[in-house]
Amino acid sequence: MDDSDDASDLALMARVAQGDEAAYRILSRRHVPAMLGLARRILGNAADAEDVAQEAMLRVWTHAPRWQPLAAFRTWLTRIVVNLCLDRKRRAAWVDLDQAGEIADPAPDAGEAVEQNERDGMVQKAIGQLPARQRTAIVLTYGDGMSNAEVAEVMGTTVSAVETLLVRAKQNLRRALGDDAGETD
Amino acid sequence: MTKKQQPDFLDAALKRVTAPRPADDAAVDRVLHRLRPPLPRQKVPFWKLPAVLLDWQFAPAWPRMAALACSALLGFYIGIAGLDRSLDQLDQTTVASNTDGGFFVFDPEPLSGARP
Repeated sequence: MDDSDDASDLALMARVAQGDEAAYRILSRRHVPAMLGLARRILGNAADAEDVAQEAMLRVWTHAPRWQPLAAFRTWLTRIVVNLCLDRKRRAAWVDLDQAGEIADPAPDAGEAVEQNERDGMVQKAIGQLPARQRTAIVLTYGDGMSNAEVAEVMGTTVSAVETLLVRAKQNLRRALGDDAGETD
Repeated sequence: MTKKQQPDFLDAALKRVTAPRPADDAAVDRVLHRLRPPLPRQKVPFWKLPAVLLDWQFAPAWPRMAALACSALLGFYIGIAGLDRSLDQLDQTTVASNTDGGFFVFDPEPLSGARP
């Protein structure tokens, strides 16, 4: 049996389906960091993101015997995380990443960096005010670089619905940023 | 910020703001720690249940077969030898049923005369 970390997700899932806890540990170490980051970007809350990542990986364990490799494991896991995030968003209020103590990225030009951080802060705040599904589409498209088809698969919807979500999200963002710019100017 | 600047600014800012950040090792460790065994029971798919039922071996379990044969032989001997009759006669209901058990179902109720 291949106990190396190089085993493919598919091979590991086949072992997890047989109740192999070692394979599950390898799979968890491989995917938890990315899923944690994704959940945090959608939820804007580090504590909730940890809960979601944990819940998602537990679902991988419990549902492994039923899993059919129709899609890539990563896509399936991302879908679980997104669904859990959307469920949680229906119950909890969004906490801005700024309030969660996000550290600004360092940049060579201090003045430009400050300005960019300010603009990014505005964008982040505006993203936080978007409806959960629009925000999820934005994070998956811009953050994870997924195509519309991939986003549609992860969100369990159609490509045209994703396109609509993105268009509306950007309209809302422009509106919010226009308003904010008006307030700050 | 002018409206003309917004689309370019927006796309670039969205990429920056939503880009994956370096993993928080402490948070990852906390999640991995919580995922340590004991893990919950896995859900077996329904389509695997028939396979479980059909997965029998046709080699008989001889001790159980022997126990079953002994029990059958003992029951047959008790029935043939009439060893159970004396026990039956201790119970009046059973005595009545020796002749005809149908009265339980078809006879009228003694006091009211109602039929079942």
